[in-house]
Amino acid sequence: MKKTVYLAVALAFAATIAVAADEKVATEVAKPAEAASATTSKAKLWSWQPVQAQAVPEVKQKSWVRTPVDAFILSQLEAKNIKPSAEADRATFIRRATLDAWGLIPTPEQVKEFVNDRSPNAYEKLVDRLLASPKYGERQARRWLDLARYADSAGFTNDETRNNLWRYRDYVVNSFNQDKPYNQFVKEQLAGDEIAPGNPEALIATGFLRGYPDDSNSRDLVQKKYQNTTDITDTVGKVFLAQTVECARCHNHKYDKISQKDYFSLQAFFANVHAVDNIPAPKGDQEIAYEKALAKWEEATKDIRAKQKAILDTARAEAEQYNFERFSKPTQEALNKLRKPESEWTADERWVNHRYLANQNDAGLAAYFQDTSREGAPGYKPENAEKWKQYKALADELKKFDKIKPETGSDAISAITELGHADAPATHVRFTGAFDHPLEEVQPAFPVSITDEKPVIVPTGFSSGRRTALANWIASEKNPLTARVYVNRVWGYFFDNGIVETVSDFGKAGSKPTNPELLDYLADNFVKQGWSVKKLQREILLSNVYRQASLPREDVAKADPQNKLLAVFPRKRLEAEEIRDSLLVASGQLEDKVGGPSVFAPVPNGLNAGNQWKVSKDQKDWNRRSIYVFTRRSVPYPLLQTFDMASAQQVHSKRDVTTTPLQALTLYNDDTVFSWSQALAGRVIREAGADESAQFDRLYQILYARNADREEKALLKSFLDNQEKVIQQKAVEGGKFAVNVPTGLKDVKAINPLRAAAFVDLVHTAANSNDFSYRF
Amino acid sequence: MSNKSRRDFLVNSGLGLGGVALSGFLPGGGFFSAASAADLAAADPLAPKSPHFPAKVKTVIWLHMDGAPSTLDLYDYKPELVKLAGQSIPDSFLKGIKGGIRGGDQAKLWVSKREWKQHGESGAWFSDLLPNLAQHADKLAFIKSSVTVGATHNISILKLNTGDLNPGRPSLGAWVSYALGSANPDLPSYVVLYNDKKEPTGGSINWSSGFLPAVYQGAAFRPGESPILNLDRNGLTSSAEQQASLDLLKRLNDRKLVQYSQDNELKARTRSYELASRMQVAAPEAVDLSKETDATKELYGLNDDATKGYGQVLLRARRLAERGVRFIQVVSGPLEIEGDSRNWDAHNNLEENHGKHARAVDKPIAGLLADLKDRGLLDSTLVVWTSEFARTPFGQSGNGRDHNPWGYTQWIAGGGVKAGTTFGATDEIGMQAVGKTVDTYDLHATVLQLLGLDHLKTTYLSNGRSERPTVVYGEVIKELLA
Repeated sequence: MKKTVYLAVALAFAATIAVAADEKVATEVAKPAEAASATTSKAKLWSWQPVQAQAVPEVKQKSWVRTPVDAFILSQLEAKNIKPSAEADRATFIRRATLDAWGLIPTPEQVKEFVNDRSPNAYEKLVDRLLASPKYGERQARRWLDLARYADSAGFTNDETRNNLWRYRDYVVNSFNQDKPYNQFVKEQLAGDEIAPGNPEALIATGFLRGYPDDSNSRDLVQKKYQNTTDITDTVGKVFLAQTVECARCHNHKYDKISQKDYFSLQAFFANVHAVDNIPAPKGDQEIAYEKALAKWEEATKDIRAKQKAILDTARAEAEQYNFERFSKPTQEALNKLRKPESEWTADERWVNHRYLANQNDAGLAAYFQDTSREGAPGYKPENAEKWKQYKALADELKKFDKIKPETGSDAISAITELGHADAPATHVRFTGAFDHPLEEVQPAFPVSITDEKPVIVPTGFSSGRRTALANWIASEKNPLTARVYVNRVWGYFFDNGIVETVSDFGKAGSKPTNPELLDYLADNFVKQGWSVKKLQREILLSNVYRQASLPREDVAKADPQNKLLAVFPRKRLEAEEIRDSLLVASGQLEDKVGGPSVFAPVPNGLNAGNQWKVSKDQKDWNRRSIYVFTRRSVPYPLLQTFDMASAQQVHSKRDVTTTPLQALTLYNDDTVFSWSQALAGRVIREAGADESAQFDRLYQILYARNADREEKALLKSFLDNQEKVIQQKAVEGGKFAVNVPTGLKDVKAINPLRAAAFVDLVHTAANSNDFSYRF
Repeated sequence: MSNKSRRDFLVNSGLGLGGVALSGFLPGGGFFSAASAADLAAADPLAPKSPHFPAKVKTVIWLHMDGAPSTLDLYDYKPELVKLAGQSIPDSFLKGIKGGIRGGDQAKLWVSKREWKQHGESGAWFSDLLPNLAQHADKLAFIKSSVTVGATHNISILKLNTGDLNPGRPSLGAWVSYALGSANPDLPSYVVLYNDKKEPTGGSINWSSGFLPAVYQGAAFRPGESPILNLDRNGLTSSAEQQASLDLLKRLNDRKLVQYSQDNELKARTRSYELASRMQVAAPEAVDLSKETDATKELYGLNDDATKGYGQVLLRARRLAERGVRFIQVVSGPLEIEGDSRNWDAHNNLEENHGKHARAVDKPIAGLLADLKDRGLLDSTLVVWTSEFARTPFGQSGNGRDHNPWGYTQWIAGGGVKAGTTFGATDEIGMQAVGKTVDTYDLHATVLQLLGLDHLKTTYLSNGRSERPTVVYGEVIKELLA
């Protein structure tokens, strides 16, 4: 084996190295599963078998069953003689449900209304209100974007901004808000350009595929195509099917019956895809404003750019030739066809040429002058030194106009299309996955062990039709995986773990469903209800399982230490975005605007991200929801990253929860977070008036959805008394004296600054507490 | 756990060597105990953990020469190259090489103006570019048959740090942090240092935790007195004020614990604030060079503008090593070369480029080795001198060299290392490694071995798969071990 491995290293040279599971370890891990299924080894893997309609199980405690899911849960609990937990109180429930549905804490008014609602359908009203809000789509979209490895930048060293990708983010938000049937959602993302080529929304949907990390600096475009196709295939396998197909790129899958041939047959569906980033977007306010701003910049810089162009035109052909020579030999061979009419390009050449031309620009070509102006450099030309000097001076001049150049926004759509061609390049099995070792050619096909169905590919005249065939299979109600995989993810959003814990691995090495009947019930019902995500979530939100208290129970800890049977509701730390967005809600500063170009929120001092993070000029942008904060692959937003936000490099299946001192430093010291606490302090005083007991209640209502009890009030009051002295002491010791005060108050004179500063500390501390950072 | 008992716990566990470990996720506990995020959330994810076998070193200082130095002009003396200089590279040396060698066909072999000498008892060759480091020849173990994949910097740097050409896998430092936990909870266990105004190119993906929880990612220490983002408390808040607030925080959190008395995660979160407030003191202290003696500063070249930048960073590295940081990743910064700000990437003008870069790092690295030795730390520290690839024997632009991932030199020094040896070789002109080669995975496996970790057993369960640092490759280079 050792030999093979080294051979692989040698062969993969200048290609992609496999990311595969440890072969040795893998085999050993796989053993118990294999042993367990030895008797049924001929049978298909459970997840590859058709979803079975499930009868709702009979249970003893019938009164506990509010929705069918309860029966499935209760039947397992009863079998183990465990009683489900009591209901959580209403305040806890609305905080929990609002966080899960919106990613935000509820307002005190919303809490009060629900807690006091004596109507028999109070819960239904609440849940329907949550599902109807645009905030619902923002929360659900974030979860989807984790899977889509969504980013506003390309990744790798240059990490260029992708100006149009936010349209895909908005498409996802809107899809959840409209309750777009999941099967349609899947189809649009995989093949929107083929299914509805005239529909901008469908084109935007292919941003799912377009989102792959990319290296604009790549010098081997033939290989680059393979890398991008690999990313797309692996992402699709994981997200929709929860299959680790990528394991079968270098060798047949070690645990699952997926061969290398299956893998490359899957790649073949994407053989003809191209990134197209200049499709005109329908003109709305954003586009008009963007074009206006751009036109202004263009007008102001017209002369400079014309002069630059004139300099480059004196040697454009040489510059192009120079640039061309920077590419690998196979790339150059494909690019030589640039000299041929486009109609004669082969499908392979089309990809390389398109990519080459898409990346070529004047600024890049001008580097030729710089490179050839040094003595001894290849292609050295003395006169280029002067040309470079002039060009550079103009470039510096141009930079001065950056202030009026629109930094975000766009008037174009980024999508995946097949450039109007139905003929696709050939796909080959690659020996050990190594790019430069093609073996037999393969045609698009579904993994043969999963299905014996064959793709029905109908070329459209402008596209190969391959992805439509794949989308139809994935989004089919007969597909054993699609519905199961998605309902399982949704279940995991509410209960921390999926019914299958490895939410993106339904293979042999993944976990087994803890409640297979429930999984199939949900999947089957999901499809029967028209793939409605809202109906699915509504049933869960209204279930008694979801309504249980999260208080720990000794009997459960003994009988079911990992709480797999869900006799207790799993309490959970808020996710990164929930923390930031909820603090914004608490401070009263959340900007409710939905959609639009991503924004650059303020970053801590010393981040040193340079031009990669220019904080937005409009301060309103600073308080947008986190889903609208720019996702730069090389500069994850620090406040969110510290709290385990998704990595945008690959499919991010599950948010980790880590607890670190860096999180404490962030929440306690970050200037932005602190300013929210000041605003919250101001809000509390504004809304509760001068009475401290009322202030404590108001603060607790805002942050924790409840009132402070008597003991807490005593504790808080004694803190204020003491803190006032501590702050006063600082005044006595320090030369200059300044304190943090609540913000947003009109009448500051009436307030004792020391007491007010102490109150800011109190509020900030409350915002740092476990009560706030967890949903119970 | 109170501060005191936590300290005791750390002391008793002897930096993880003593065997007090949380058995649920011992890296050495076998495949079935491969930890997953769920296990880690429940307890302190940075609690010290036992290695698989007694460790030789506690700390790694990973010196990444950014931009790829020509090791042919530093360590790998090739008389044959001198002889053949000016001639086209014979085809026989290019066997097996595919892909983008720019101007490879017409490329002429090229030599820079180097003088070469052997040093120490080991007789290791050094060029005149590294006069100070040469004095430590007998502390080093050379790997002269290094190979890697890729021909552009960013992807090969990614491979150097994470083992993969695409982003997404954990860096070596993150694996170490995960497998061994922290030896000093007052500081991050994995620190990245750089001497530049901005973060190194490629950014945080090179110290990312990949699919491991974020707690294991490298903390990039910023230049200046306050190395960690958000380390300093609000400018208008006094220390006593902060302390009183944190006391309140603890009391508020403890109230919730009445209902959730067994909840370790909630307890850990309360504790994280205590750790954070200790870090506020410990981190600035760890990078404060004012307490170092003049002699030490001189040793690292702090008195000379040419060496000061990198010297300061390495002196910080030593202070962090002393304080139990597990993995210290140091990225060399760019210098002003021909009017540009550039790293070791000498496609042209190698004389000036390498002259300046070698000068910038030579004395500080020699100083680091001497200082570690004097303080008795060299035995418990591993210094790795590494780069994403190196440079070709044929010239480029008339006075530079192109990228060479096919054969180059790296070295290691410190505890458990067979000092004064050389492993592997390149061909007569330094184009390709001959005989047994050493890839990134082998280097990673060797580093882990010295930390007491079996790279095959250092596993993490990610989405159902048991992942390890060396992907599916890697072999410990036994010849480098004492």
